[in-house]
Amino acid sequence: MGKGRAARLVRSLEGVAYWAAAAPLLARLPAVIGYRIACWRGDWVRRHQAGKRAELARNLGQLLAEEVSPATAQQVMRDWFRHASCEALDVMRLRHRARPLRRLVRVRGQEHLEAALAAGKGAILCSAHFGSYHSGFSVLHASGFPVTTIGRWQYKYTAGLSAAERRFWDRVYRRVRRHRQRPNIEPWPGRFQVAAQAAAALRAGEVVTISIDAPPLDSDQARAVDVAFLGRRARLLPGVVTLAQLTGAPVLTCFIYRSPDYRHQVLEISEPVPMDGETATAFGRCAAQVSAAIQRNPAHWVYWTSTADLVTLGLTPGEPGISAPAGPLPGERLVRDRTEPRVAIPG
Amino acid sequence: METVINDYISRELVRDPSLLPLAGDTSLLDNGVLDSLNLLRMVVFLEERFKIAVGDADLLPQNFSSVDAICAYVRAREPGKQAVAHG
Repeated sequence: MGKGRAARLVRSLEGVAYWAAAAPLLARLPAVIGYRIACWRGDWVRRHQAGKRAELARNLGQLLAEEVSPATAQQVMRDWFRHASCEALDVMRLRHRARPLRRLVRVRGQEHLEAALAAGKGAILCSAHFGSYHSGFSVLHASGFPVTTIGRWQYKYTAGLSAAERRFWDRVYRRVRRHRQRPNIEPWPGRFQVAAQAAAALRAGEVVTISIDAPPLDSDQARAVDVAFLGRRARLLPGVVTLAQLTGAPVLTCFIYRSPDYRHQVLEISEPVPMDGETATAFGRCAAQVSAAIQRNPAHWVYWTSTADLVTLGLTPGEPGISAPAGPLPGERLVRDRTEPRVAIPG
Repeated sequence: METVINDYISRELVRDPSLLPLAGDTSLLDNGVLDSLNLLRMVVFLEERFKIAVGDADLLPQNFSSVDAICAYVRAREPGKQAVAHG
């Protein structure tokens, strides 16, 4: 067995052990202890994954060099790995109507969502792969807002995952799925009814979430628009705006922030984003809010170690010699939203 | 009805001029005319223009595969005919 393969196996086993055994246990301890241990585990992963560390540092330097000092970059890196470990506890705390997690999450701006829903056309939450977004949406649903997510369960499609690994992830995310009004509306090529299904959910007065920072699939590149994002131009899909314009549903932004104590979080919902003007103009406003959230809290964005996705987004140039891992491992945060996903983030 | 639907698709949804004039049996899916968002546009148009309700269960490729298929679907959804609608 080669050295690289052995290292991958060790990482895989560690990830399985953490998500399947340690995290459920930690989630039952007092939060102050459980999240502290999760942070230690995040520190351990950071020390032992030099490749990911380097990838994160390089992408952070390329995109946020002006905003982030070297000292801050170190802190971002530390927090990024800690957040990834804490996310497992968030998911495990979604038991019993999500009460254990709801105790730790404060929803700010709920009145904006209530006012938007009162108009009777549902509401679209424009979000990003940011913080513990899966669990955040589940908390919202458990708080009484019927939430449906437009998004792909990446473990179903990631190339290189064994059947056992898919079953493992399916089991892990069962807790998240339990707190949704409907199954995810998954926008893969050929599923032409996605927008109409989302419109049906909105008509039923539900909340539909869309993470707009996903790299467009090859088949969707023609629909992507150039918008200002992280100080550069990125190619993103403006479906959130088209859906809003066709249904009349208001668009609000939604981000979940982890506090410095790592266990408490704030789920922040904005006032409605104006949807007037051309699609690209209205979408630019959404992208600006996502971009600002990432710039304020870079450790929350999951794409930092996903160079291939950053290249697809047009944010970083493809560089020879920089390649993504052969496949994701159990215990990794899957973020690549493409037909042939390659990249995952260790968690 | 065929003319109204054909005109709408030709004017609002077709991006490839080589598909025009649009034949009744031209595949709207294979030719990339109806993607996810265009299907929603189509549904909104049909509901407003023909006063029908398009349900989740009706969002099947066979109901929207061509102008002819859409016309057949709308006819089946007209008041008093819902029982024979596809899906």
